[in-house]
Amino acid sequence: MEDGELVVLVGPSGCGKSTLLRTIAGLEIPDAGEVRIGEREVTRLPPRERDVAMVFQSYALYPHLTVRQNLSFGLKLRKTPAARVSEVASMLGLDELLDRYPRQMSGGQRQRVAMGRAIARRPALFLFDEPLSNLDAALRAEVRIEIKKLHQSLGSTMIYVTHDQVEAMTLADRLVVLNAGEVEQCGPPLDVYDHPASLFVAGFMGSPAMNFISAEVADGELRAPGLTLSAPEDAKPGEVLLGIRPQDVERADAEPGSAAYRTPAGPGRIDFVVDVLEPMGFEAYAHGRVGETKFIARLEGDAVRGLSEGDHVALSVPPQKLHLFDPKTGRAL
Amino acid sequence: MRRSAGAAALLVLTALAVCPPAAGRAQETTTLRVWHAYGQGSAEETALRQAADAYVEAHPDQRVELLANAFGAYLSKLESAIPTGNGPDLFIDAHERVTHYVERRLITPVEAPSSGRFDASQLEALSVEGRLYGVPLSLKCAALYVNTSLLPEAPSSLDALARRPHAEGVFPLVFEAENAYYVAALLHAHGGRLLDDEGGYAFVGPAAHATVAEVQRWVESGATPEEATGELAKRLFASGHALSVISGPWLAPDLPDSLPYRVLPLPPATEGGEATRPYLTIEAAYVAAQAQHPAEAAALADFLAHGPGALIRAKAGRQVVADAAAFDDPELASDAFLSTFRRAAAAALPMPTHPHMRLAFEPAGQALRKVLRTGMPIDDALEEGARRFRDLTRPLPGPRDPTLALVLVGVVLLGFVFAMLRRLKDPATRAALVRSMPAYRWVAHAFLAVGLLVILPLFVGALTSFFSGHGTDLHYAGLANYAEILSARGGELLGHGSFWLVLLVTVLWTVLNLALHVGIGVLLALLLNRPTLRLKGMYRVLLILPWAVPSYVTALSWKGMFHRQFGAVNALLTALGAEPVSFFAHFSTAFTANLVTNVWLGFPFMMVVTLGALSSIPKDLYEAAAVDGATKKQQFWRITAPLLVPALAPAVAMGAVWTFNMFNVVFLVSGGEPDGSTEILVSDAYRWAFTRSNQYGYAAAYAVLIFLILVLFSKAAARGLARVEEKKA
Amino acid sequence: MRRQRGSLLASVGSHVALLIAVGFAIYPVLWVVSLALTAGGAPEAQIIPWPAHPSLDNFRAVAGQVDAERGWIFGQQLFNSLAIAAATTLAALAIATPAAYAMSRFDFVGKKGSMAALLATQMFPGVAAAIPLYLLLDALGMLDTRSGLVLVYATTAVPFAIFQMRGAFDAIPRDLEEAAMVDGATRFGAFVRVVLPAARPAMAVTALFAFMTAWNEFILAATFLSREEVFTLPVVLQRFVGEHDAHWGLFAAGAIIVSVPVMALFYWLQRHLVGGLTSGSVKG
Repeated sequence: MEDGELVVLVGPSGCGKSTLLRTIAGLEIPDAGEVRIGEREVTRLPPRERDVAMVFQSYALYPHLTVRQNLSFGLKLRKTPAARVSEVASMLGLDELLDRYPRQMSGGQRQRVAMGRAIARRPALFLFDEPLSNLDAALRAEVRIEIKKLHQSLGSTMIYVTHDQVEAMTLADRLVVLNAGEVEQCGPPLDVYDHPASLFVAGFMGSPAMNFISAEVADGELRAPGLTLSAPEDAKPGEVLLGIRPQDVERADAEPGSAAYRTPAGPGRIDFVVDVLEPMGFEAYAHGRVGETKFIARLEGDAVRGLSEGDHVALSVPPQKLHLFDPKTGRAL
Repeated sequence: MRRSAGAAALLVLTALAVCPPAAGRAQETTTLRVWHAYGQGSAEETALRQAADAYVEAHPDQRVELLANAFGAYLSKLESAIPTGNGPDLFIDAHERVTHYVERRLITPVEAPSSGRFDASQLEALSVEGRLYGVPLSLKCAALYVNTSLLPEAPSSLDALARRPHAEGVFPLVFEAENAYYVAALLHAHGGRLLDDEGGYAFVGPAAHATVAEVQRWVESGATPEEATGELAKRLFASGHALSVISGPWLAPDLPDSLPYRVLPLPPATEGGEATRPYLTIEAAYVAAQAQHPAEAAALADFLAHGPGALIRAKAGRQVVADAAAFDDPELASDAFLSTFRRAAAAALPMPTHPHMRLAFEPAGQALRKVLRTGMPIDDALEEGARRFRDLTRPLPGPRDPTLALVLVGVVLLGFVFAMLRRLKDPATRAALVRSMPAYRWVAHAFLAVGLLVILPLFVGALTSFFSGHGTDLHYAGLANYAEILSARGGELLGHGSFWLVLLVTVLWTVLNLALHVGIGVLLALLLNRPTLRLKGMYRVLLILPWAVPSYVTALSWKGMFHRQFGAVNALLTALGAEPVSFFAHFSTAFTANLVTNVWLGFPFMMVVTLGALSSIPKDLYEAAAVDGATKKQQFWRITAPLLVPALAPAVAMGAVWTFNMFNVVFLVSGGEPDGSTEILVSDAYRWAFTRSNQYGYAAAYAVLIFLILVLFSKAAARGLARVEEKKA
Repeated sequence: MRRQRGSLLASVGSHVALLIAVGFAIYPVLWVVSLALTAGGAPEAQIIPWPAHPSLDNFRAVAGQVDAERGWIFGQQLFNSLAIAAATTLAALAIATPAAYAMSRFDFVGKKGSMAALLATQMFPGVAAAIPLYLLLDALGMLDTRSGLVLVYATTAVPFAIFQMRGAFDAIPRDLEEAAMVDGATRFGAFVRVVLPAARPAMAVTALFAFMTAWNEFILAATFLSREEVFTLPVVLQRFVGEHDAHWGLFAAGAIIVSVPVMALFYWLQRHLVGGLTSGSVKG
């Protein structure tokens, strides 16, 4: 990875992203391979000699120390003047809390102290281990932005572990998607989103998750029960798994209430049967089926007015938004 | 701040504890180490110091270092210290242990005192096989203290004294009626003996019967107090609630100056009967076998025995000195107290020095207690005492050939080493060992310390269970100790004092204690856990109190409260209109007394553990249950109890082990009364080791068996716990 | 309304029950106090533990002895007890906590076996060990010293302390020491600076147990020590019980003096006692 980059490791729980982070920190020793920070080979070095700082999921604040002592803990151990503490504290808005103990603070405040403790150290590398997962949704969004700002102002190298793809997307300069201990894909977040390299990445990134439909490529067409679409030019004939993001569809039938409203889908159309609607005002999620396969479509608020269970709706997808995967290997085609 | 102050204090104290005290001793002087077991701050101790000072004045090149020992630990300390060269040069003890000391080679022969007049019989009492081993210092025997304002004239006989009319709450004849030492004086008057010349038990037959019957009559008529201890006798006499008391010279220092009393040699037991002859104890100075300065020690002993040394001890220490010449001193000659005791001593019977003597007191005392407390027919009680004595003095298992055992141990060891080496060859084991290295650095010192100072001594102790005898005639006995224990020494398997019966009592003891500890502890914790309770802190502090006070004190306090005549429990029962209970006369009541004491000691621990466990149960569980309509009772059984069980289980298991081995309470409260029936395994083991002819091997076998039982128990408990956890998961 | 009456009843009920329990708890202790305050006087079957003529004579006799040669010997012995108990506490904690930490955090060959061995030491009655221990201390040349006694007491207290502390460490998240290690501490540094302070309640309770082990013990002390200036208070107390006579009043007075520091410690630590004991025993 590059200097000054913010790399996000993302993946479902148990995929090895925390282990990777802990290996970088030196808390675990790899069975094989090596770890380098800058020019240094640090595989066998203890954590204290790696010049990294880490923010833990549990924050791991020292319960017997005040905020001030927590912030200056690492500095004292390195015999660095503790003047930086007040600087960091004002940066994070902790000035009023310096003499409190962790147990006297809210979750958000503790999280700030945990970050402050890392920042005060000014390490070569920041490590974040799911730092936001113990916060409520509103606070999470707020802190997320702060971390981004922080990264911009400090300009330091950071590795950030999360299972939340929204965090991953918004924060990352570069995204590393991990699954079962393997790197599935690596690249700028939008690249990953737009061009998922595998079925796993496609399913994991994006919310709600991508829809998958078993289809067949034949005669320049993609066919599956309930849909017939023109296949991308380079698609080879045979079985494929077709991926469509819920966000990428729109209604292709006429305006609600018009005569064509209940027309079944034709070529270039997806015949979508509505089960449940989740209207949210400006947008709505429609849960339903295409053929026998479950399918979610994100539609505009107006587009779902008057729909009810059992209605057939015709959907269309721009061809460049179709994702094709090899059903055997799961790799993108 | 406070915390660091506490830590600093700890550090400073530690430093001071570990630093050796400055030893500025001149090289030229010879230091004589003298051990004694005189009471703390007693006149005897002061006098000994003065006499030693006088000796040093005459021998300026010498120093005398006195050490006052606790009586209870004196013998075992001498036995450990002298053979290892850590003992004194000279020590003071009663003459009746002289044979024991000679057998253990703890003392060396001495010359008779160089001057003064010593009774030949006393010198003979201190001789073994014709050689003198101790220098006689002072004489101790029982006499009759009479309160002269209540009883101006000298009584003609003890029986006449006992029959005197007396006011309510005043006893005419006070003595420790259950103590064979005092009763022996009457026994001698009836022509009996505790021990015959061959060391056989003689507290049976018509003389013993007559003696016990007499004592029983006195106690039943209210002339003599029940369950009298020395302390009780002293307090009754000192406070004017006794016309007379049979006691030794040790009583006088504790009597108030205002008390008008005099001392008389013991009158005959009955009108015109034989003279009452108490036992005579001759306190002597012994030169220890490994003395650094035996010649100087002998000189000091000689100095203490007669002349100025004797005079100091007589005048300052109020000792009845053995040197008759000292009584030529006009001051002593006119001292009624000392000369009376001197006369009493002349008539007294020197206590036999046969090693069995010490063993005779326990069965004889038990026979007395059986009669006086439970009303058992005298002859039955005496016969039981004789049986008990035979049990105590049964021949030790003979030596066995250790070859087979050594070969077996060798084979097992070889096999072990071989298996270890094979495991080491396995690369996986080696890799695991390499990975363990960092951990070993954290545990090495603890394993070393515990291994060396805890496990090794326990292991050596366990090994002694294969040996028999003691001191110099220690011999390998194979599994004989175990065989004897497990076969109940040839008696009935569930007979009196058998291992199996004691085990049964121990299990009952453990189960009842734990049930009550947990029951009371949980109940109190629940009460203390009520959120609205006021004064919570105060209650908690007061309820922890039993845990904070040393148990050897409170156990004795409980024993006092269970006293038949003067105990608070009986006072309470009487106030409630019930009959007073003789607690230590029956198994059930004595066991209950032990139980109450131990429950008292143990419930705070369970209470505190439960409080901790309760505080970790989330409150919302109760709120959820309350919303669901559960009553308080249902909340307890459905939420609290299931969550408490796993939290309390380890504490209960630990408590079971502690209770199983709870020596203090049983030893101090009931002392095994009645007749050893409330003894538990560990207190029985202690008795075999320390109060019954020091059968260490036998006691060690008990300890090993206790260990095995507890290991089996804990295995079973762990399995049960795992099952509970499984069910929960 | 009904609810309130019910809770009033329950409140009165629990106070009554607690008062009965408190009575049960302090009554025998009051008897010890009463005995200590009694200088002579007639024994009487009484229910109220209060002497007819209270006096401090016993306390004076126990604690007030000053002689020209050895000075205030009681003070010296009180100091011995304090110093030995304090040193035992420190030594036991110093030995036990790193081992307990390793038991909690590391896997190593022989871990299960050593836990079993530690547990076993708690089950073996000490009766048989006194003489081997004497010989051992003699061989180490520490027989007649305070340090020797400290060593014996501390190691006796170690197995239980390890159980107790291991349970406490198990309850402390590993994140804490990992954070410290990332922050620049060695593993030992993290242990000392972060893990130990976080385990303070359990440490306090463990320390209390170790302190009591040393403070109340007298059989080994009486056997091992042969100089009066190194005696501890329980040994001195035993000297009030002689062959023929026992001075229970003095014994009780001495016992109260001996109990005061322990009671003070209990009072001071009672806050920790509840949490500290459980974290150990629940998870141990």
